Parts: sequence; structure tokens; C-alpha cells
Amino acid sequence: MNERAPDLVIRNLRAKVEDLDREILKGVNLEVRKGEIHAIMGPNGSGKSTLANVLMGNPFYVITGGEVLYKGRDLLEMSPDERAREGLFIAFQYPVAIPGVNFASFLRTALSARRGYQNELIPVAEFQKILREKLDLLKLDPSIVTRYVNEGFSGGEKKRAEILQMAVLEPEMAILDETDSGLDIDAVKVVAENVNQLFDKAAGNLGIVLITHYSRILQYIRPHQVHVMLDGRIVISGGPELAEELEQTGYEGLQAQFAEVAAATPGDQPVRRAGKVFWVAH
Amino acid sequence: MEDAAVREGFDRATVERLAELWEGPEWLRRRRQQAWELFRSLPLPPPTHEAWRRTPPERLAWDGLGPVLQERGDEVARQGLDGLRGDGPALALHNGAVAGSWGAERLRRAGVVFCDLRTAAREWPDLLEPFLFRAGLRAEENAFTAQHVAFATGGVFLYVPAGVELEEPLVVADWVDGEGLVAPHTLVVLEPRSRATLVQRRTGPGTGLVNLGVELVVRDGAQLGYAQLQDLRGPVREFGVVRARVGRDATVRTLVASFGASLEKLFVESVLDSPGGASEMLGAFFADDAQHYDVHTLQEHQAPHTASDLLYKVALLGSARSVFAGLIRVHPGAQKTNAFQSNRNLLLSPEARADSKPELEIMANDLRCTHGSAVSRLEEPHLFYLQTRGLTRQQAVHMIVEGFFSEVLDRLPVERVRWWLEQKVAEKMGAEAPLGRVAALRGLLEEVAQSR
Ligand SMILES: Nc1ncnc2c1ncn2[C@@H]1O[C@H](COP(=O)(O)OP(=O)(O)OP(=O)(O)O)[C@@H](O)[C@H]1O
Ligand SMILES: [Mg+2]
Repeated sequence: MNERAPDLVIRNLRAKVEDLDREILKGVNLEVRKGEIHAIMGPNGSGKSTLANVLMGNPFYVITGGEVLYKGRDLLEMSPDERAREGLFIAFQYPVAIPGVNFASFLRTALSARRGYQNELIPVAEFQKILREKLDLLKLDPSIVTRYVNEGFSGGEKKRAEILQMAVLEPEMAILDETDSGLDIDAVKVVAENVNQLFDKAAGNLGIVLITHYSRILQYIRPHQVHVMLDGRIVISGGPELAEELEQTGYEGLQAQFAEVAAATPGDQPVRRAGKVFWVAH
Repeated sequence: MEDAAVREGFDRATVERLAELWEGPEWLRRRRQQAWELFRSLPLPPPTHEAWRRTPPERLAWDGLGPVLQERGDEVARQGLDGLRGDGPALALHNGAVAGSWGAERLRRAGVVFCDLRTAAREWPDLLEPFLFRAGLRAEENAFTAQHVAFATGGVFLYVPAGVELEEPLVVADWVDGEGLVAPHTLVVLEPRSRATLVQRRTGPGTGLVNLGVELVVRDGAQLGYAQLQDLRGPVREFGVVRARVGRDATVRTLVASFGASLEKLFVESVLDSPGGASEMLGAFFADDAQHYDVHTLQEHQAPHTASDLLYKVALLGSARSVFAGLIRVHPGAQKTNAFQSNRNLLLSPEARADSKPELEIMANDLRCTHGSAVSRLEEPHLFYLQTRGLTRQQAVHMIVEGFFSEVLDRLPVERVRWWLEQKVAEKMGAEAPLGRVAALRGLLEEVAQSR
């Protein structure tokens, strides 16, 4: 693995929802470098979307412990928009519709912010060129940009519109939360190709955290690492073959393996075994 | 300027002086004298009156304020046209007196009269006589309308003869300054099958009282577009009546947009008295700090086969307050009527408050009628979504407010008016320029739409 310092470092991150006592994230550890693709897999309710939202600064969640460094800075101190301008991006599992807000003009404002324009917007002609280029690259129906943001979009259109935003904004670190779910088989393939294109085009300047339930998309997008999240923690990390193993054994099988390793390990420490890392914490 | 704008009292002598300023015909002098008698005898509407419960009439009292008698307009008033005037006909008024007029001669050749009301009273009294203070607004309605007719300081007259269609919008700016009462009047008469668009803006640093009257007469088969844009800058209070009378198979489309003044009490009404008449009523209101807007609308269906469609949007910042009371009235026999009404309010601060009171008075049984109203607040998930794309919170709110008004903007045919509205919304949001500038992207959007 790369010797460079990781661009995103998550240490023992804990979080909960404002008015609930129960923690949802119970000590997440993860390191991502630009130029890497990480997959996070985990059962429903294990906290994957919560992690994505917390990383993006959703005020709905309260941090109860741990830290996150992004490009060497304390990410948790930054506002969501500052994170975005610094190149962090999230493709939402459930993008919200915003009535009345035209997609193209929203995207123009967003790109202007990302490119550091202050009190003005990127010129229309330049924006138009970029938009056309990205629409072509993603082979997207252009009419999407004439509509209101996500309003009346089908499930698939919403997911693809998120990827269009990613293409235009050119982030350095992108979290894709179940971008493959709700897509038909052909669409999964197209979206996977899109993501690969963006990753290749970024030439080492983009790190991706891909949250997914299905190993299917991992046939198209080869992750460098796969992480399994159970009950608010990343418990096992491994190579792409971990996804295949998961396909065989299910979460129960992996959970049993983890329990076994944890029982045999006295303190809290990562345990390397059979090409995997077990993040033991008691 | 100060010399020209001498304030007088609310007395008979002032009515006479105004009549002299207008140099109008005898019937006009009489109408104003009668109005003055009414004004003396009519009390303010009681605060318990349903139409006045949320805005006590005392808040519009004129104690210590007299009418502004402005003989000539000053050049300063021309800036009211900024951003709205193209190359087309335009008129600048200063407290009712002319401060500039462009392109009227060209219109004259087509038989169109477009001038200030004082000139009209002098040169076109016969065109005015059947309509002025008759067709839309009458002195006897209440103390405010009586005041308006008695002390109308000036205004604009547009007359379009039968069959004449004007493509280009005509633009009028009313500049209001000083501390007294300014009572601008607008009279538009569209003869059968004619077509015109009038854009009227009211602005300036006035600190007194504005008493506005707008009469729109749209005769059979005619089509009128009328935009009334208000961004008065001073702590001025305003009362106004905007009333359209729509003939057989005629269409009126009105936009009322308000951003300024400290208090505004408006009655905006469309009277559909002949079959086939149609009225579109759009409204865009944006108040902040302690501004108070109270708007009554009336969709009055007196004849069968008439249609009305109202959309009023109100956004509030700070501790602003708004009241919308919209009535759809369908008279007996006004069958096959279509009447729609929608009022949407967006509260941008915890202290802001909007009341919405849709009301129906239906006395026919074969019609389609819907109404809806809503008061909503900013939604955190929307703001968060926009912020995750790099927009500051302030920009995110601005974008959502633009989106809120876009439903009205998208229905406006005149690009300059859309531009003006986006600009005013930006000002209210404390931004230097609009964000969306959907107008700027229109070319792109069209190209994209075609490339499908
Ligand atoms: N806004 C919320 N209010 C209450 N509970 C929440 C909220 N968000 C998340 N939770 C709870 O936190 C847990 C983790 O939810 P999260 O959405 O992060 O799971 P996930 O791993 O993304 O699941 P899925 O695979 O179904 O998308 C769940 O038990 C969920 O009910
Ligand atoms: Mg999820």
C-alpha cells in the first residue's frame, strides 16, 4: 500500500442523533488516500449513511468522540460548505428534491464556489462548456439540467444526477452512498463505468469511498480495500476478495469470525489474519 | 426641489390647487370636490371590520401630513426607470408630475395615448371622462379612496384604440419623495381587440403616505399585461387599490410585486363581468425587518365562462408580518367558471409571521374552483444538500428563496421584469447579485432542451 500520508483519517469516530441517547457510530477507524477506492459494506442500519453524513457535516448528527483529519486539517471543525469547497463530496443515498431550484443554475453556483469565485459566478459560456463535456462523458440525457433539483426524478435519475454533480465539481474525496441501489442491471454498469472514468480522469487526485450492499458493482469497480461495518464499527478490512467471501458467508459468517478473533485477543488492537485485518475493540 | 414640493393641508383650497395644477375639465373638478366632501364625512373603517382586523386603519392615518403639490418633476425621478427601460416608450413621474417622457409621439401615430394624467386631463378629457374615478375605483368606497380621488397628485394614462396591438412593453416610473401624501393614479383603457403591456414601478425615498389607485379597463377581446413593482426605500406607508374590469373574451394578466415601504395595505381585484373574460393574478412579496404587508385579492366572477388564476407568493425575513386574504366570488348564473387561487408563504426567520385566509363565496353550481394556501419554513435537509455542494448557508437560503419565487418568475413574459425581481430578491438577501440567474442560462437551457 501507498506510503503517502492518508488524505482522510478517521479515528475512533463516535456519533449519535441529537435527540437519541443511543450511539450509532461506535468508534469508526478508516484511512483513505487519494488514488484509492475503498468499499464499505454492511447490513441495513449498521451506520454507513450516518458515517457519510457525519463526514459531510450534517447538523442532524452529534459527534460524541474521536476525530477526523482531512488533508491534515480537523474536518469536524469545518462547515459542510467549507468541506465541499475543499473537495469533499457525497453522493447521497436519498438525494432530496428542492422545488423551484433549477438544476443548471444550482450547479453553476456550486461550481463557482468550488472554484473559489467570490461574489460572482463562473461565466455562462465556460460553465456551458464544462456541463456539456460532462453530460457527454456520462452519456446523460441533458434535459435533466433544465429541471428542478431532483424534483420528480426517478430513483435512477437521482443517482445519476449525483454522479453528474461529482463530475462537474471534481472532488478530491468522494463518498458514494449506495449509488448502485435502485438501479437496474444495465444502469449499475453505466454508473460504475462513469465512476471509473472519473477516477481514471482524476489521475490519482481522487479518493473514493463506495458504500454498497452488493458485490455486483464491485465487479465493475475494483476497490483497493473492502471494509465490513457492523453495528456502528468497521470490524474487518481486507482486499477485494473480502467482498467475495462476504457473498459466501454472509454477515453472520463474518461476525462469527470476528467474535472468535476478538475472544482470543486481550486488548483493543488490529489483528491481522488470513489477509484480513480484524479491528478488535472490547 | 423643496420649493416645488410644498405641502398643503387636507382642505378645500388644496383640492382647488390640485385642480389648477391638473388644468382639467369642469367634470373632473366636480368629481374631486365631491370626493373631498366624502373624505370629510367618512370615518376611517372601524378596526373591527373584517378587512381591517389585522392592520388597524390608524396605522395609515395622515395626521400632520398634507398632499405634496409638485408642479414640475425633477430629473432625479428618472432613475426610477433604471434597469426597466429598454428603447421603448417610457414615462418618469415625480410625486405625480412629469419628469420625462419618451416615445409617446410615435405611439400617437397609431392613435395610442401614453402620457401623464395632468396632460391627459388637459388634452384628452373626453377619453378620460367615462372611466376616471369611475371604472375601477370610486371615492365613496371608504375614507382612503375618497382621499385618493380628492387629492390624486398625478399619474399615468394609457389609451389603446380598438385593434391596435403594442408589442413592446410601456414603462412608467413613479418617484416618491418628501414627507407628505403622494396619491398616484393609473388609468389604462384598452379598446376592443387591442393589446398592450404596462410596467409600472414605484420607488424613491419618501417617508410619508402613498395612496395609490389603479384602474384597468380591458374591453372586449383586448389583452392587457400589467406589472406593478414597488420598492419604495423610505419608511413610507401605503394604501392602494388595483382593480381590473375585464370585458367579453378579454384577458388581463397582473403582477403585483412589493419589496419596500414599511406598511402596505393593498386591494387587488379582477372583475369579470362578461362571458369569456380571463384574469391571471400573480404576486411576489418579500418583506424584512418590521415591514408589514396586508393584501386582499378578489376574483369576482359575474358572468359565465370566465376564468381566473391567482398565484401569490410571500417571503418574510426578520420580524416581518404578512396577511393574505383572497376571495373568490362566483355570482349566481356565472356558470362554467374556472377559478384557481394559490397563496404560498415562506418564513425565513423564527419571528416572521404570515397569515393566509382563502375564502370562497360561490353562488353558482356548475364550475371548477380550487384554492390552496400554505405557510412553510426553510427545510434543514434542503439547506444541507446545497451546502454539501459548496454553497454557503446564506447562498443556500438565497437559492431556495429564488426557487420559491421562480414559479411566479417563470410565468412572466417580460424579461426585464424577471431580471428586476431577481435583483430585488438578491438585495433583500444581502447579496450583490442574483444566484440563479436562470435568465442568463436560458440560452443554455434551450439549447440543451433541443439537443434531446
Ligand atoms: N435521523 C435518524 N433518526 C433516528 N435514527 C436514525 C437516524 N439516522 C440513522 N438512524 C439510525 O441509525 C442506524 C444507522 O442508520 P444508517 O442510515 O446509518 O444505516 P445504513 O448502514 O446506512 O443502512 P442502510 O443500508 O439501510 O442504508 C439505524 O438504526 C437508524 O435507524
Ligand atoms: Mg444507508
